[in-house]
Order: sequence, then structure tokens, then C-alpha cells
Amino acid sequence: MKTGSSHLTLDRWITTMVVLASVSVLVMIGCLRFGVQSIGFSDAGRILFRAISDWQAGVHAQGPAGAILLQVRLPRVVLGFLVGGGLAVVGVALQALLRNPLADPYILGISSGAALGAAVAILLGIGTTVLAISALPLFAFVGGLISLLVVYRIAATHGRFPVYILLLAGVILNSIFSALIMFIISIMGPNRSFGTMAWLMGTLTAPTFPAMAALAVYLITGGLVLLWQAKSLNLMALGEEAASSMGVEVHKVKKIVFFTSALLTGAVVSVSGMIGFVGMIIPHAVRMVIGADHRLLLPASALVGGTFLIAADTVARTVLAPGEIPVGVVTALAGGPFFIFLLMNRKSGLAE
Amino acid sequence: MKKLGAILRVPQALRIFYLSPRAPKIAGACLTLLLIAGLLPVDSQAAETGTRTFVDDLDRKVTLTHAPHRIISLAPSITEILFAIGIGERVVGVTQYCDYPPEAQAKPKVGYTHPNLEAIVALEPDLVLAPRELLRVDILGKLEQLQIPTYVLDATTVASILSHIQTLGRLLGASAAADDVVHRMQRRIEEIKARTSRLPRPRVLYVLNSAPLITVGPGSFIHEAIEMAGGSNVAARARVAYPRLSMEEVLSEDPELILFPTGRAEGIAEGEEELWQRWTTLSAIKLKRLRRVPNDLLNRPGPRIVQGLEMLARAIHPEAFEDRSAP
Repeated sequence: MKTGSSHLTLDRWITTMVVLASVSVLVMIGCLRFGVQSIGFSDAGRILFRAISDWQAGVHAQGPAGAILLQVRLPRVVLGFLVGGGLAVVGVALQALLRNPLADPYILGISSGAALGAAVAILLGIGTTVLAISALPLFAFVGGLISLLVVYRIAATHGRFPVYILLLAGVILNSIFSALIMFIISIMGPNRSFGTMAWLMGTLTAPTFPAMAALAVYLITGGLVLLWQAKSLNLMALGEEAASSMGVEVHKVKKIVFFTSALLTGAVVSVSGMIGFVGMIIPHAVRMVIGADHRLLLPASALVGGTFLIAADTVARTVLAPGEIPVGVVTALAGGPFFIFLLMNRKSGLAE
Repeated sequence: MKKLGAILRVPQALRIFYLSPRAPKIAGACLTLLLIAGLLPVDSQAAETGTRTFVDDLDRKVTLTHAPHRIISLAPSITEILFAIGIGERVVGVTQYCDYPPEAQAKPKVGYTHPNLEAIVALEPDLVLAPRELLRVDILGKLEQLQIPTYVLDATTVASILSHIQTLGRLLGASAAADDVVHRMQRRIEEIKARTSRLPRPRVLYVLNSAPLITVGPGSFIHEAIEMAGGSNVAARARVAYPRLSMEEVLSEDPELILFPTGRAEGIAEGEEELWQRWTTLSAIKLKRLRRVPNDLLNRPGPRIVQGLEMLARAIHPEAFEDRSAP
């Protein structure tokens, strides 16, 4: 199904990554320009320049524009890049691990666990800040960890950690947790259930910079762990037995990829809610264009996923200005048709 | 139990009635009756003994054969109106959120967003009063099928609350009390307006939810209340009633007062104000003007809305009420 690793040269790796990184940076700058309030490039440049030497001076520069650019837009763009990149990387890894083109970061049930944790936090009315991290992401992350352990426990009892058990456990857990979430929403007051629904629909509300730095380190570490397994993932695409005969410790690789993906998903969902389609469609789109070698596919998907989510979020926060729409709506509406277009034009990419 | 059986038999009897060849004639007669009923001064004592027809906020015709005495309210605001116009003892069922006046808590509960149809039927109501928002179409259809008169109220403005109180007064034969309540409300609204209308209008942000930020926009009841109380809603440009407002808009509109609704059922979480301290450029943060307001008074389109208005006006213009202590 997927091409081997023989075509990838260092030159091609570097060229692709440089091109994608440049596009990412350009899109980021462009997205900083657009918002409810229009801030020209020259003003934005001036604010950023002042902020580099003195952050507070930057925030208070140019009326509200300084605070808008530095406290709202910049953190949001950074968070969007981290979340989009994280979702895409996990999507790539899980599609390879489960050998299932429909796999996405939400398939293992981790996200539902995280969402359940968030719903419980809102139900209990917990909103106080703990160590600069709001309790909501904390609850969500713990919820994700609990479902990770449940899925692992179910799959591990079958000895060889079979992927179909992983898939089934994830699907079942998803539906159980969804039922619990709906139950919680149905017993909440209308106001709180409104807030919970809004959270579930996916939203990029930037945390403070220290929290975001922690998130960035966490996600990049996870991404590197997956990249370290890239060669094994390439061989696993040929089937577990084939990979095993070529010296891959299949059992160990599966566990590493499962745990890393689950931990990444838990963190991403806890800060952004459920943003659909990025984790499923970006890996496919990137694979169709650059091939299936995970050594390139993983980092390239991270860049494309991050860039895509930033662009989608810019649409989400401007199209109904001064209101916003859930970013998940934009990712699905933009990503879905684009994916169909790729599918119609590059059938060979999938069939290979 | 006997009565319950009677209720269940009625629809079938009517179906035969409608299928009979005399049906058109009878329908014609009914229509004439309806027209007469519509022309009659419906709040007179004479009319209350006969069959009367009202048109509710969904443009549905609701026919009452007598002044209802077993009433179910499907909204806290409606319950409050019924008690305010002095017919609380005729209420036989309420929602689990109906906590005012305290007597209302003793009434049997029938649910709120998901009312229990069996509980409603078992209470043998002769009138169900339902709010338009949150009323599910299937529940309404079922109530119609069961021939339980259901009157739907759609409260979108303060004016509509006043007219609802008068409508319910006429519906239930308590017009005098209803008019009295409405007049007292109007007097207080005029007084609040008189105290605040000439003052500068501070910019106000009303936080329904902090992450993501959800607030009130034009078309919502609280938006109108803020403007009536002498404030200026920063989300006035929003295009929906409960918008997810962009934080950019908040920073550029720069609210001078941020309001956090609190309440047993629908309030925001304790300590949510802390999340706002990071927006140091906002005037409201610099001036330390973050206020908690009990949301029952504002979320419920009932008689206590005037208390909510006064509370808002006091939060927005404390200087205008220095001569009067809080009610």
C-alpha cells in the first residue's frame, strides 16, 4: 500500500522541509495580519519590534492593537500551530500503527476520555487556576490518561497487543464516554451545558505563555519519539510478520507508538477540545503528495497540519466578526472537500 | 385514576366526531363561536365562564372551556408570573428549577429541558404554559395529541414580559392582579430610566462563559436589560443573540465593567474572574470593576426582571443610587 523508504534522499528531505517551513512562516505572518480588528503590517511590525525589547511596552503600544496582537492573536496562532501539528503527527502514526486509513487521533477513545474529564470539571464548577494552568485542561488530561489505561488494559490482556483489539476498545470506549458526556450535559443548567458544548466543538483559546511553552516542549518531545520510530513504522506498513522478519521488535514499537500517540492526543484535546478532520485528512493529503516514508511524512505532516489549522482558525475568527465560529466547523468544511478533490485527482497515491 | 382514563379516551372520541358527516357544519359553528369569543371583552367575568380562544406566541389557537385551575408551568419565569398574579395555588406542576417563590418548590416537578410527559399527563392539567425556547417540538405535538391545552410564551423583550403577565391574567381570570403587577413594574422601570438615562453609558461585557468567551448580543434579553439599565453592551455589533465573541473585539471595545452571572443552576464557576486578570490593558481590570450578579433576576423573563434591571443599573451607575439603599 505504501512506498518503501528507498526513494528518500537527504536532499529531498531538506528541500521539502525548507519549503514547507517557509510556507508555514508566511501563513503565520499573514494570519497575524487578519482579525476582527485590522492591524496593518507596519503597525504589527512596530508592535512586535517594541515587544522584543520590552514586552509590556509592546502590549500597551498602539492603543488596543498591542494587546490584541501580542495577547490574543500571537498566542492563538502559536497554539493553533502546535495543536494542528500534534493532531497531524498522531494521525500519521496511528494510521501506520493500526494500518487503517480511517484512523485519527480520536479513534483510541483518548479524546472522549479527555472530553469527559472536561465535562466533569465544568459540572463541578471548577474554574480556579492551579499553577497557572486552568483546571479544565488538567481534568481533561487526566480523563485522557484514564481512558488510555483502560484501552491499554483491554488490548494487553490479549498478549500480543493486537491492533484490532485496540481499535475495538477505542470505539467502544468512545461510545461509552460519549453517553456519559451527554448524560452530564443533560443534567447541567442550560448556561453550563452551552459552555460545555462550545468547548466540545473545539476552540483555540490560548493559555498563558508559560503553559504554552510547557505544551510546546511536551508535543515536540512526543513528535521526536514518533520520528525515532519512523523506520519501524515504514516496515510495519508491510505487515507485522514481514516487519518482524526484518528485525523490527513489533510488540515494542506498537506499545511506544500507542503510548506516545495517546499522551499527545490527551494533551492536545485538553487545550483545544475536539477539532476534527485535521488528524485524519492532513496525513492522507501529505502522503499523496510526498509519499509514504515516515521519516519525511511525520515532520512534513506536522508543518502542514499546523499551517492548515492556523489558516482555518483565521477564517473561524473573522468570518462572523465580531463573533467567532467553532474552528472544527471550518476544518471539516475546508478539509473534507479538499480531500475529495485530492482523492479524485490522485487515485494512484492511495492505491500504490 | 378514573380521570386519567377519561383523558386517554377523549382523543378517540374526538376522532370519531371529526370523521362524522356533520363535522363541517360543527366546525363552522365552532368558527363562529371563536369569532364571537375573539370579539368579546375576554377579561370580563361573563366571558370567563364560556369557551374562549387565545392565540399564543407560536400563532397557535388555544381554546379554553373554563378558567384553568390545574396549571403546569414549564419555565421558572412562568411560575414566578403565576405566583405574582396570585394564582399560585392553581399551579399543579413546575420544573426542577422553579425555586421562586419558595412555595413553588413544594409543587410536583415535571422536568425542564426534557419534561416528563407521563408526569405531565398524570397531573391532569387543564393548561400547560411552556416557554418557546427549550420547548421540544415532539413534546408540544404530544400535548396537542392528548388534547391538553398548551399555551406557548416567547419572551424576547422586557415589553413582551409585561404583555405576557397581562395575557396570563386574562387567560386565568386574574386580570386585575396582573394589571397591578404590570403597573408597579412599569413605575420601577421608569424610575430606573430616569436615574440613568442622562448619565454617560459605560461599556459593559456580560460573561456567560469565559473559555471560549460567550456573551450576550442583540436579540437576547440581557442585552436589552444592559441597555435599559444605562450601559452599553460591547457585543452590540454581534450578529447572534449568544455570540462566541472574539477577544480582539473585547480588547478594542475595552469594557469598563465586566459582569459575571452567578446562580445555583446556571452561574459561571467560582473564581472565573481570575482568568480575566491577565488582560491588563482592559479598563475594567485597571479600575477593578468586575462584578458578580445573581443571574436568576436577569435570566428569567418574569416579574423580578425589574429587580434585575435595578441591580444592573446599580452595578453600572453606582453613583445614581447613592441616595437609596439596595432593595
